[in-house]
Amino acid sequence: MKSPTKISLIICFFVFSSCYESLDFNQLKGHVSKPVFSSALTYYTVVPAQFFNAAGIQQNSISDITQFKGFENSYIKDNLVKIDFNAEIKNGFDREVTILVDFLNKNDAVVYSFTPIIVEGGNLNFTFLEEIEIALNKNILNTTKVRISTEIENTGTQMNPADTREFVFKSSVTLFIESSI
Amino acid sequence: MKKILFFVLIFSAVKFSAQNKQVLYDFAELPQTLLLNPGAETNYKFHFGLPLMSGLSIDLGSSGAVLTDVFAYDNINVDDKISTLLNNLTTTDFVKFNSQIEVLNGGFRTDTKTYISFGFYNEIDAISYYPKDFFILFTEGNNPHLNKSFSASQLLYKLDVLGVIHAGVSKKINDKLTAGGRFKIYSSALNIESSNNTGTFTTVLGTDNIYKHYFSNININARSSGLFNEDEVIEDSDTYVNNIFFGGNLGIGFDFGATYHINQQLEFSGSVLDLGFINHKKNIKNTTAKGNFIFEGVEFQYDPNNPINYWGQIDSNFRKQLPTAENQESYISWRPVKLNASLKYSFGEIRSKICYDNTYKDFYTDAIGVQLYSIFRLLSPQLALTGFYQKSITHKIHTKVTYTIDDFSYANIGAGLSAQFGKVNLYGMLDNILEYRNLSSANSISLQVGFNVIFN
Repeated sequence: MKSPTKISLIICFFVFSSCYESLDFNQLKGHVSKPVFSSALTYYTVVPAQFFNAAGIQQNSISDITQFKGFENSYIKDNLVKIDFNAEIKNGFDREVTILVDFLNKNDAVVYSFTPIIVEGGNLNFTFLEEIEIALNKNILNTTKVRISTEIENTGTQMNPADTREFVFKSSVTLFIESSI
Repeated sequence: MKKILFFVLIFSAVKFSAQNKQVLYDFAELPQTLLLNPGAETNYKFHFGLPLMSGLSIDLGSSGAVLTDVFAYDNINVDDKISTLLNNLTTTDFVKFNSQIEVLNGGFRTDTKTYISFGFYNEIDAISYYPKDFFILFTEGNNPHLNKSFSASQLLYKLDVLGVIHAGVSKKINDKLTAGGRFKIYSSALNIESSNNTGTFTTVLGTDNIYKHYFSNININARSSGLFNEDEVIEDSDTYVNNIFFGGNLGIGFDFGATYHINQQLEFSGSVLDLGFINHKKNIKNTTAKGNFIFEGVEFQYDPNNPINYWGQIDSNFRKQLPTAENQESYISWRPVKLNASLKYSFGEIRSKICYDNTYKDFYTDAIGVQLYSIFRLLSPQLALTGFYQKSITHKIHTKVTYTIDDFSYANIGAGLSAQFGKVNLYGMLDNILEYRNLSSANSISLQVGFNVIFN
């Protein structure tokens, strides 16, 4: 056999007899991406003076509210399986403080509430974790606002509005996503 | 032994790459070699390529990942395979595709020293580096990666669909030197690209709150032309085809090249290709994001007299400090410049072939040599180093075997054949032949085939 014929045959051999390993593209159907995103949420520091109104009378409860649009994102809303709410609290007050966290929908109706977070006076290293399974609490996905109320224990003795001791609240949310392709 | 160690060290330290036609380069005086070196020598009166069939080349590759990494039947959990793949990828790994289809190709000799060639071809050229940090962020999230800076600079991609009309001249200066040039007009049908991005996203443990998120030095741009018409994606394929022919996004480019005979057996050749640009000014849509933003959460004020729209404030600050914008400003896209250089030593039997002027030209039947190829890509130049052996079986039948080191392989073997039957020339080249044993695990494959009609 002449050389050019040989080379032609070799090239043809590689072109027409090229092999490929069987591939299973359906595997991707079983693939689940499980990213975990953490984000800072709310934080605040309050001193006793903030529990007194303009008339100088102690209010045992104060609250504030923020809009929350995290669940407007369809990727999060459709694939969220679990939420961890973390809080780190320093209670420098001389009395117990209770934190109430409510998730509200667009009509301001409560769709989810944490069990009250009770922090004893003087506890400077309190941590809190609430795990929310979405499958059991689907209403929480309708959240558009978060309200946090801070209540001080009524000990019968007023706090000193000039007292500089602080109550420090920090929080974060961790979103567990499971999305398939 | 020291020499061997030296070469091993060199090849270990340097990573080469390709979008390369190393088999076709300087091969058998094919008309298509003039597109790789306008200063290549030719030896015929005129030629024309069979329309749409004179030159088809396809080149695709992926460094760092192959299909079997994820899709093989191996009873390994697909999530684990994807995770392993992402961990193994580096920021210099990329996926690329290039194809050229010659629509027209022809040439003729004006005198004994001058050969004019011209034509029109379509090209699709795409490259995208793997944005590893984006993949990790979207598959694993930021939670397992506190303090890691996810970099936007890894967002690097470019896709060009264009038509190229060209005309070139190859002139024999003297017995030793042939030089040439080519002028090109580019007509872009589609361009999308993003490069020179900066910025990071980092989550750290905060001081006022549990976490603090930094968007630092963000400067991201994504440009496109030919894809949108007044915010609507152009879905009509005819529009893209029409735009290949002077569609409005035009550019110019030049090729230069030369062949120099150092002595009767030793020859050097080199070329610079696609030294040019395209001015995109039609159907433009560019998106930018620029700035810095720090997010530490919502700080409650507990001030019932001054209720605050916290979310609105954050949203407003984000838009002010890290604004995203769209514009229709024209922009220039540079073509990826390619460099070729070759040193060839001819030897073996001396034969004669008849030339266009009815004289006879001696040629050696065998040649060996080295070729260096470089293409300037978005991230850095990519290189390929090729050793080759060329054999002319007869003056009508030529073969070439190459061994190339590139980004995809340290053992890339290619082969080519050019045969002339009467006036009809047929050529075909394959690269990465060893990978044809299993295309599913191939990092890279390329081929070129075509038919010409050549008149001596």
